[in-house]
Amino acid sequence: MLKEVRFSIAALFCAAILSLVCGVASWSSARADSTSGKKDLASRQWAIVRVALPENDEPFPPGIGADIAGSQCLICHSAGMVLTQPPLKKDEWRAEIMKMRSAYGAPIPDDQVDALSEYLKDINGRQ
Amino acid sequence: MPRTLLVPPQSRRQFLAGVGGLGLTGLLGAPAWSGTEESVVFPFVNGGRNLVKTFPQKGAMVLQRARPPLLETPFEVFDQGIFTPNDRFYVRWHLANIPTVIDPATFRLKVRGHVKQPISFTLDDLVRKFKPIEIAAVNQCSGNSRGFFAPRVAGGQWANGAMGNALWRGVSLKAVLDRAGVKAGALQVRFNGLDTGILPQTPDFMKSLDVDHSLDGEVMIAYAMNGKPLPLLNGYPLRLVVPGWYATYWVKMLDDIEVLDKPDDNFWMTRAYLIPDTPLADMVPGQQGVKLIPINRMVPRSFFTNVKDQAKFKVGETTTVRGIAFGGDTGVAKVLFSADAGSHWQEARLGSDHGKYSFRRWTVELRHSSAGPQTLMVKALNTAGASQPDGANWNGSGFMRNIVESVSVQSV
Repeated sequence: MLKEVRFSIAALFCAAILSLVCGVASWSSARADSTSGKKDLASRQWAIVRVALPENDEPFPPGIGADIAGSQCLICHSAGMVLTQPPLKKDEWRAEIMKMRSAYGAPIPDDQVDALSEYLKDINGRQ
Repeated sequence: MPRTLLVPPQSRRQFLAGVGGLGLTGLLGAPAWSGTEESVVFPFVNGGRNLVKTFPQKGAMVLQRARPPLLETPFEVFDQGIFTPNDRFYVRWHLANIPTVIDPATFRLKVRGHVKQPISFTLDDLVRKFKPIEIAAVNQCSGNSRGFFAPRVAGGQWANGAMGNALWRGVSLKAVLDRAGVKAGALQVRFNGLDTGILPQTPDFMKSLDVDHSLDGEVMIAYAMNGKPLPLLNGYPLRLVVPGWYATYWVKMLDDIEVLDKPDDNFWMTRAYLIPDTPLADMVPGQQGVKLIPINRMVPRSFFTNVKDQAKFKVGETTTVRGIAFGGDTGVAKVLFSADAGSHWQEARLGSDHGKYSFRRWTVELRHSSAGPQTLMVKALNTAGASQPDGANWNGSGFMRNIVESVSVQSV
């Protein structure tokens, strides 16, 4: 029982935090029945949660092939994923591109694979 | 808007070479980092990362990737307590379509497949109609510490902060499956969450456990984390908790449970998250013909949390050195500390026990009796007799690193 009450307090506290942080709707009913008890736990616990994820506007560094990276890689992930990788050889970048195509369905045409490999080697490569 | 790295990798590498990759915070001057107030440099090539506070329900986090989010827990958080606060708990998503609105009025958890009676539950159902259970358990990314692999491997380049420990509260998976009634002949149970890929051809992220594991009473569906609802980025409203197993199985925003009468052949079980079927998933780079199996149980680890590499002490003083340890898939038996690079080991004092899947605090008193450099080491032994290796394990996916941790310090 003690545990239940403690949890309820925690949940109520969280309600306050959540509404500050992410604009939670419909917490008023939650606060209204804050007199504890198992039955009320759920109504305090469950609120519409609405968040905004940060916009991702990080571009690929300029260079020959940046347009391909911008139109292909950014479909599924931000440029940071590429820039934080260890420097890879061109054929290692090519292998990553082929994996993105075969495993995840990246629509990178055959005639862009070499240019994209070269670009990725240019921005984060080794010999 | 996340703060971004606009410096070409070339200059970052040169800069890293300049600071010697010490892994310290606050080293970077503003000119090299566009708009950056704070950053960290992990001690590996391309290890510069920004600290951001731009993600919902999250405090300062190490930005590994903005989309889909990969956010690492800054390591100093682990010194503050053995439970990782929700707003500092690491975040890892595979697919970029992440719902940003969850409405409990319409959310349902479905149980279907090879069952007697398909059934769905509201969130209220789970809280009211089931006995709640609680467990303290470490959630650790399979690729935690991947950035330290040598030779390096591709993937999320985490340092050691892709892990966290929380008190999870929810209902046992067994109780939920029992309501639907698992039919004879069931082999696996597959878990799916609300996230999806941007492209229709990207495999939906799903993970499976064997039926026996699913019915062990420990695997749970959590609706609370450290006494509060889960942050959305940690899986609100429901997350699977698989104590002792790597986090890839802890499916977030869980809304679909499918009992299978044949082995799950989906991409995320058969082509991703595979490890060599060898002790500690260890292999030699380039080794051919290695049998691969799905990653599974965690292995022991331990860390220093209040002593960083290159720390300096005063001769004659005494420092309480402390850290955290976990046993992997079972409890910590002991933590051993060495002040002489592993020649001699002493048992550390263990803090309170929150169950076999939790972080555990360890401490030792270290007297700085003479001047000079010193290598401090720590390793955990679990109750099944497993320990940490002196040399790093290696595999091509960067999984399961658990080498004995060491820091170089100096007394002056």
